[in-house]
Amino acid sequence: MAREYGTENWIEWCPGCGNFGIVSSLYRAFSELEMEPEKTVLVSGIGCSGKMPHYVDVSGVHTLHGRAIPFASGVKMANPDLDVIVNGGDGDLLGIGAGHFVALGRRNLDVLVMMHDNRVYGLTKGQASPTLPRETQTKALDSPNIQDALEPLPLALISGYTHLSRSFAMDSDHLKEMIKKGIEHDGAAFLDVLQPCVTYNDIHTSEYFKERIEKLNDWDPEKDKNEVYEKLDRETDKILTGEIYKDTDKPSFSERLSEGYKEKSPSQRPIEEDGAPILDKEKFVSKFEEFVVEPEL
Amino acid sequence: MNDEIDMILGGAQGAGLETTVQILSSAFASSGLGILADREYYSNIKGRHSYVHAKVSSTEIPRSLESSIDILGCMDAETVFTHFEDVREEGYIIYDSSVDDKTQDEIKSLEDPLRERLEDRFDELGVEGTVSSILDHLEEEKDVEAVELDFPSILKELQEKYEMSSSQASRYVSSILIGAVSGLMDLEKNSIEKGIEKKFEGKEKIAEQNMFLVGDVTDMVKEEHGSPLKMEKLGLDEDQLLMVNGNEITGMGKMTAGLGFQSYYPITPAADESLFIEKHAGEENVLVVQTEDELAAVTSCIGAALTGTRSATATSGPGFDLMTEGLGWAGINEVPMVITYYQRGGPSTGLPTRGSQDDLMTALQSSHGSSPRIVLASGDHHEAFRDAVKAFNLAEKYQTPVIHLLDKFLANMVRTVPLPEIESLTIERGELWEGGEDYRRFEDGPISERAFLGEEVMWYTGSEHTESGNVIEDPEKRLKMKEKRMNKLDLADKEMDEDERAIYFGPEDPEHLLLGWGSVKEVAIDSIESLEEKIGYLHLRTFSPFPEEKVLSYLKKADKVVAVEHSYSARVSEVVSLKTGFEIENEVVKYTGRPIYRDELVRSMKDVLSGRVSREVLKHGP
Repeated sequence: MAREYGTENWIEWCPGCGNFGIVSSLYRAFSELEMEPEKTVLVSGIGCSGKMPHYVDVSGVHTLHGRAIPFASGVKMANPDLDVIVNGGDGDLLGIGAGHFVALGRRNLDVLVMMHDNRVYGLTKGQASPTLPRETQTKALDSPNIQDALEPLPLALISGYTHLSRSFAMDSDHLKEMIKKGIEHDGAAFLDVLQPCVTYNDIHTSEYFKERIEKLNDWDPEKDKNEVYEKLDRETDKILTGEIYKDTDKPSFSERLSEGYKEKSPSQRPIEEDGAPILDKEKFVSKFEEFVVEPEL
Repeated sequence: MNDEIDMILGGAQGAGLETTVQILSSAFASSGLGILADREYYSNIKGRHSYVHAKVSSTEIPRSLESSIDILGCMDAETVFTHFEDVREEGYIIYDSSVDDKTQDEIKSLEDPLRERLEDRFDELGVEGTVSSILDHLEEEKDVEAVELDFPSILKELQEKYEMSSSQASRYVSSILIGAVSGLMDLEKNSIEKGIEKKFEGKEKIAEQNMFLVGDVTDMVKEEHGSPLKMEKLGLDEDQLLMVNGNEITGMGKMTAGLGFQSYYPITPAADESLFIEKHAGEENVLVVQTEDELAAVTSCIGAALTGTRSATATSGPGFDLMTEGLGWAGINEVPMVITYYQRGGPSTGLPTRGSQDDLMTALQSSHGSSPRIVLASGDHHEAFRDAVKAFNLAEKYQTPVIHLLDKFLANMVRTVPLPEIESLTIERGELWEGGEDYRRFEDGPISERAFLGEEVMWYTGSEHTESGNVIEDPEKRLKMKEKRMNKLDLADKEMDEDERAIYFGPEDPEHLLLGWGSVKEVAIDSIESLEEKIGYLHLRTFSPFPEEKVLSYLKKADKVVAVEHSYSARVSEVVSLKTGFEIENEVVKYTGRPIYRDELVRSMKDVLSGRVSREVLKHGP
């Protein structure tokens, strides 16, 4: 029987929030993949999306604004046996944390990043996020946005992510599949989750997305980067969803490390024997031989 | 025979000084001499003046430096201009006689204020201002002997013998200096050879060429000057010593402690530690990760620590500033992690390659809100090793971040030291979860049983939280959880021996007390031994939890208390005042970023102890 992944905590998102769709899709994906709760780590930043780990019965690390990715990276690098999934908002991942977003792609570390893309900062009352288009005025803004929107998928593509997908919070079947593909991919995966903010974004509503979403059909994601870029670039009125890009050739971060790391990761290595350091005096002298001087007296 | 030699070897950054010093240090050490060598350099890759100030001893491993020297080894004219006044009576200057006519105006890399000071000084001394005029002056006034070597013709000989280009030959200037020092001190050929072989391992031809040049110059110098600075051998009991700088010995300590993960972002003077660990990762497979910034360095380190891996990051002031938000998260989530903090001159970029102890308050108090943190400070190579191990034990025992304070002086100071006593070290992992039902990460207190990510389901959050790690704002729970965490520091205070947190050196019942920490330790100990007054030195090694009782008992007994520190305002006095209410009225401070020299500290202490002044600012060192 499928396992339940909910917790007893009261879910405190606004009624109708896209996050309900995201968390229920996550439960379903985990259930279908039979994720081991203690071997699965959900890492989040700050904001509405940051609360996610408290509603999912796997290990959760609710971190600092913008830093979910480096926290997650440390966990994954030290213990590659864990499945690590980041949930962050658009402001968290592409505003305050943009440097880390790029760095994860460069490492191709085996982490799935799910971006809750609602184009506003919800928890601080509706300011413009990095994905809000210029000249758009959502209801909490005093005047139209004067900064251009960032394109998350092309940014992820050129940063080196090897799995890219997009889905919609209110299409649970589709989102669940995209989450599963992201988790199963060995390398850095980015999933852009379009989501309404019912309280602060009166423009990019559920209806807005529904009218524009076009699911990719007959699209083999294992394509040349340029072809993917062009496909995304041609998006105008339509918003493409689905598995857009996949590269299984590029070595993941752990494959780039030494043989020794693959055999025994930092978290699995013994460091003491009966309370004494593994690096005893004899090993110390041979390890640091070049610093040892034997004076001729 | 001499039992101590002080020397400065200088040249343009990137011109081979590093090679000179490595080979000479190795030769000194293998001839059984004790060595201490401070490295001074600009934030520059090539061209700026850099130098090494060293003391070599045949009676002990030296602890501190003198402002005056027996040998000034000059790779260029700038070194003559910068250091000529430091040479003692009957000292030696090794220099390139082809720059005899050079004046300071021709040296573009000299900074203007020094240029102006030199002009004034030359007027005072009645010196014309060429290199040879300075040497003549030193010979007349101080009986300083010039070891004249015509670098171009010496290199020409090498060039012809080995058929190399003149630009290739110019890279061998370092060996001229080695040869000259070797001649004056009559170093054994064998010990130099060993140093050269070690330096040029796998490059036999280059080693041979350097050896030839060293031998050639050694013979020239011996013929002309004899070996007036020959030294006795050091009567050390050790058959094995380490020759290391502070970055290296700290890295060794961390690796001995079982470090599994080290993150870093490049910064002087901390980065060398991470590079050292990476190079020696060996079969222990320590994972060293260069992150995109210090925000990622600290947070990835925390992430790794959550998996049970002993994790650390190493940085300096500007990087630490960026880490403070992460430090708060680690505090509220009770994460055992270590930040190795090498202080340098601030604020901002300040003096990025010079030493400082001005970040004590930063280490103790940065980050908003309050959470327990342990702050250790090391005063020398031996302490740096012990503290690097201890930092992890304390971090895991009290499940809280530990800041290990060091500084640029120690980071770059090369010294021969006895092998660390590894047999006496223990690895203490603190309270660990042994399995069972319904794991809650923050259950009971003050110390909870720690499970690693991967073992049980658990939650962490930077918000105030319940025992399970879920967000809560309830006032009663807030009290409970806040107190649980803060009580850990009280527990550490009870359990950590005050005698290890503050160490006293000096006579019983001292009349006066010198108080300091970090790398003032050794020069402070040497200075109290040179003062006539009955004065002791109290060395602070742990700032949090602060050893109040012990410190206060020494402060109260002393007639005069003098704080000594590399900072503007003696931060240690501020901390003592905060923690004990005791106001320290005297201070000797230095904030030029250069080391404190024994003789200048002794001089200033005399002034302070006599009551003439209550504050002295030290300035020596170019």
